[in-house]
Amino acid sequence: MAFNFNWSPLIADTDRVRDMLTSSLNKSPKPPIIVDDILVNELNLGSTPPELEILEVGDLAEDRFRGIFKMSYTGDAYLTLKTRVQANPLNTFLSTKPSFASPQPLAASSGLTIPLQITLSDIRLSGFVILVFSKQKGITLVFRNDPLESLKVSSTFDSIPFVRDYLQKTIENQLRVLFMEDLPAIIHRLSLRMFNSELQPADDAEKDATNDQVPIDPLASPALQAMDGSGDAFDAAPLSLDTPTETYASFSQKNLLRLAALSESQRTLSLFTPGMRDTVFRAWASAADRNEPSNGTHTPLHRPTLSRMQSTLGDQSAWSSSAPSQTSEATSAASRPSLASAATMPSTYTLGTNSSRTRPRKRKHRIVNLRKDKTPEDATDGTSVSSGYNDSASRSAGTSAEPSMAETEPTTLPSYISREGEISTPPRSPKKKVDFKASSDGGQNHDRNATIRARPVTPRNTAVQLNVDNDPTPRASMYLPEKQSQEQRPPLRRQPLPRMQTVPTPVHRAQLSRSTSELSLRGMPPAFESSTGGILEQAWMMKMASEIARKVSEEKAKQGTWRLRGSGSSDDGLQVGGEAPPAYVSRDGFAL
Amino acid sequence: MLEFMDYVQAAFHAQGGWNRDNSYSSLTTTAHNLLDFQIPHGLRMHISSLSSPNFGTSYTVGSKGVVDGSLSFLYTSLGLSLPARSRTAHLEGLVQGYRHLAALRPPSQTNWTEVLRGGKTIRQKDSLLYGRLYLPTSTLEALYLRRISPNRLLRLNGVSDGSLPSGGSLLALLQNDFGKYSTEYLYSTDSSLIGIRGLYNFGYDPRHPDTLSGRPPAHPWDHQGGRLSAGAEVYFSPINKSGGVSTGLRFTTLPIHTGFPYTMTLTINPLMGNLSSTYAVKAGRNLAFCSRFDFNVYSYESDVMVGVELWQRQQHAPETAWARRLLRPDWPQVEEEVNGVLKARVDNHGKVGLLWECKLKELLVSLGAGVDLKKRERMLGSVGLEVSYSS
Repeated sequence: MAFNFNWSPLIADTDRVRDMLTSSLNKSPKPPIIVDDILVNELNLGSTPPELEILEVGDLAEDRFRGIFKMSYTGDAYLTLKTRVQANPLNTFLSTKPSFASPQPLAASSGLTIPLQITLSDIRLSGFVILVFSKQKGITLVFRNDPLESLKVSSTFDSIPFVRDYLQKTIENQLRVLFMEDLPAIIHRLSLRMFNSELQPADDAEKDATNDQVPIDPLASPALQAMDGSGDAFDAAPLSLDTPTETYASFSQKNLLRLAALSESQRTLSLFTPGMRDTVFRAWASAADRNEPSNGTHTPLHRPTLSRMQSTLGDQSAWSSSAPSQTSEATSAASRPSLASAATMPSTYTLGTNSSRTRPRKRKHRIVNLRKDKTPEDATDGTSVSSGYNDSASRSAGTSAEPSMAETEPTTLPSYISREGEISTPPRSPKKKVDFKASSDGGQNHDRNATIRARPVTPRNTAVQLNVDNDPTPRASMYLPEKQSQEQRPPLRRQPLPRMQTVPTPVHRAQLSRSTSELSLRGMPPAFESSTGGILEQAWMMKMASEIARKVSEEKAKQGTWRLRGSGSSDDGLQVGGEAPPAYVSRDGFAL
Repeated sequence: MLEFMDYVQAAFHAQGGWNRDNSYSSLTTTAHNLLDFQIPHGLRMHISSLSSPNFGTSYTVGSKGVVDGSLSFLYTSLGLSLPARSRTAHLEGLVQGYRHLAALRPPSQTNWTEVLRGGKTIRQKDSLLYGRLYLPTSTLEALYLRRISPNRLLRLNGVSDGSLPSGGSLLALLQNDFGKYSTEYLYSTDSSLIGIRGLYNFGYDPRHPDTLSGRPPAHPWDHQGGRLSAGAEVYFSPINKSGGVSTGLRFTTLPIHTGFPYTMTLTINPLMGNLSSTYAVKAGRNLAFCSRFDFNVYSYESDVMVGVELWQRQQHAPETAWARRLLRPDWPQVEEEVNGVLKARVDNHGKVGLLWECKLKELLVSLGAGVDLKKRERMLGSVGLEVSYSS
């Protein structure tokens, strides 16, 4: 596992730190030698970052982190303080003594205040740091022990040993207090300021910035997990790691409120639409509209998952904990089928819109890649797509994995699914006709299609696949839809994750070859590796892989049915099939 | 206003004939009294008693946010006869104002109590023991005074406090007063501070009193009606490798001076470049002014402080006015009793201090306030009231 510790921006913004340091230095009772306020004149954090050694990671997610570091710092940071000091040693000496036993000199203790500039340099720190980070609560940094090892205090009084020693001692003590008490408070306040500003969704600019990082997909991702959950709780878990944070980030209170307002307005005849920047509104009033993002078909599933996701986020439980919940949700979602989806549709739609707004760039990229890839060939698409999303390395992995992937799909996995979803989504939008076909095809299978019609985009991609899939596999089966939904959901979250890329190809190829789930497993690990340089991630991937393998084996038993469905894993089929009774599906499709 | 125990100590010195003014440490007593007077803070009450000429107790209860207090006990081998009761105590003795210096006396003439013991007269070495315990903080102060010889005084001050680095500190001070000059040697256990003070009086030499009368001034500053004194102090701490030096000059008028009394001092700290000059004038029987100017030649920092002292005396009863008018001017007149003293000071930083000390029935009351004119929002810095009762 590794952390990317960005030191340079810290160097840039030292003004606020300076102010806070100034106030904190003047807060505590000052030693008698200092007769004026202490001003932080210059603060340079230096170019050498502290060395952090991770000793323990207690909690890890994108929006929160808890860990213990061993920190050692031998950098070139320096701090210049300005103040006025009492230059008469007798004066300072006597001021700390009880007057009753003081010699009470007549004038020998008269004061001489001198402006003093103190430079603290050669700061040597080493200690154990407990860092707790949470997007809501900011950063809490606590030193477990006294981190100050040594420090060089140079001042105007270096020639007077008494004053120099006194200053050295005093400043060291003050710094100890600063490190142990004031610094955590300062960092906490700073972080709160930063995150609060980011969290305010109302500020569109800020939001955009934050959202860009956060994939829109998170909404979809829960669904993915849910699907996995039906299959594999564990698989869902790793995915959930990324997703919960993302969703959280992308949906702030304000955003959710606005989206709710938007959905409300579309449910009713109200003409009011809340203003949202960087958002493209489409004319479709039907629930199908939501589909446009890859999610569209899956929307019903997403809805429930969304709510769950948030709840999990709120709990801030580790991803591991969230995973099971998600899985359970997924199952529940599956059980709910069409009805739930219909009701939820509006909300899902909003979600989809959010994601689209927030992530304009990522999406675009994906879309472009996908289209290109797809246009050439389906089989090639998978590989090309993967490359588009991921680096070349991932791509290679993907290619190798691809064949196996198709087979494994059903059991495997969220990752595959996600990829498929991502890939599929972009192409879908362009090919509306396809979508319609697909929807019509899948529509029979899936409930949502009825509502989704607007969604045509998503269906299209799936449609292509669906057509293939559906034909070979029986549409009516509920399982098929579930798998599809799984696939779709993952893409949303997966966007960030390169691993997914490999997956997509399998989807496309799934039609071609749905042989063994095992193959997919093989493919997975390389993808993970490529995607994640971090030890942690690798560890995760390994765990996931093992889990997947296990599940695969478990699912193999079921696979007979799954495979069939999996082959038909096109989005529409997947979504609907999972939960919705065939009748619903058929209706939807007709309705479309 | 002097606390009761300080009052008793002053009486001890006075009765033993120890001239406290002939010391470098008291060079600026007048200015100190007029400018650096203590302003009471919070509410404070003293109950004191000199139950016998040799034993005194004092209890203090104060409140400034938290209630604190102190217990103090004093024992002296010298039987003191002083008006200790607050009803009879003279405010002049309790309130320190402009300090009139008396003419120097030869050390042999000091009141030196002699006791007859075993057929021989032995000069009793007066001593004084004093202890004070501050209650909430558990700080203990102790003082030991001993007249080793007519011109030598040993003083030991000790403080025991857990918050101090070594649990307390001890100060030993040996004072020699030879009339013409005086020396002090001190040692403090706090970082082994060693100090020497010396004061030399120009002009009249009390050891050879015959030269006093009719002698023409030997030099311009040999003023008949005044006294010029010069002194210096040196401190050094071998542990801290630090020290301090100061020198001072004082000219003050003597009682035989015909004009209004005045006192001028100049103290210099050559190490720190500090110059301080004071000028105090007793403008009338009830009025005294004082000013002080501080200047630092290194930092160019300067301070000016001005203070005034106003005595309010009890008016004679109008029924006896006719009798007083018949008194001849050269007859000794009874001084009117002082009712109260108002002290005020102001410095160039806009800080004003006011203190009103008076005798109210059986009580001694001092009411003070500190005002900062530069702080608009919080002008009234500190207000305090002290009530003392002694029996």
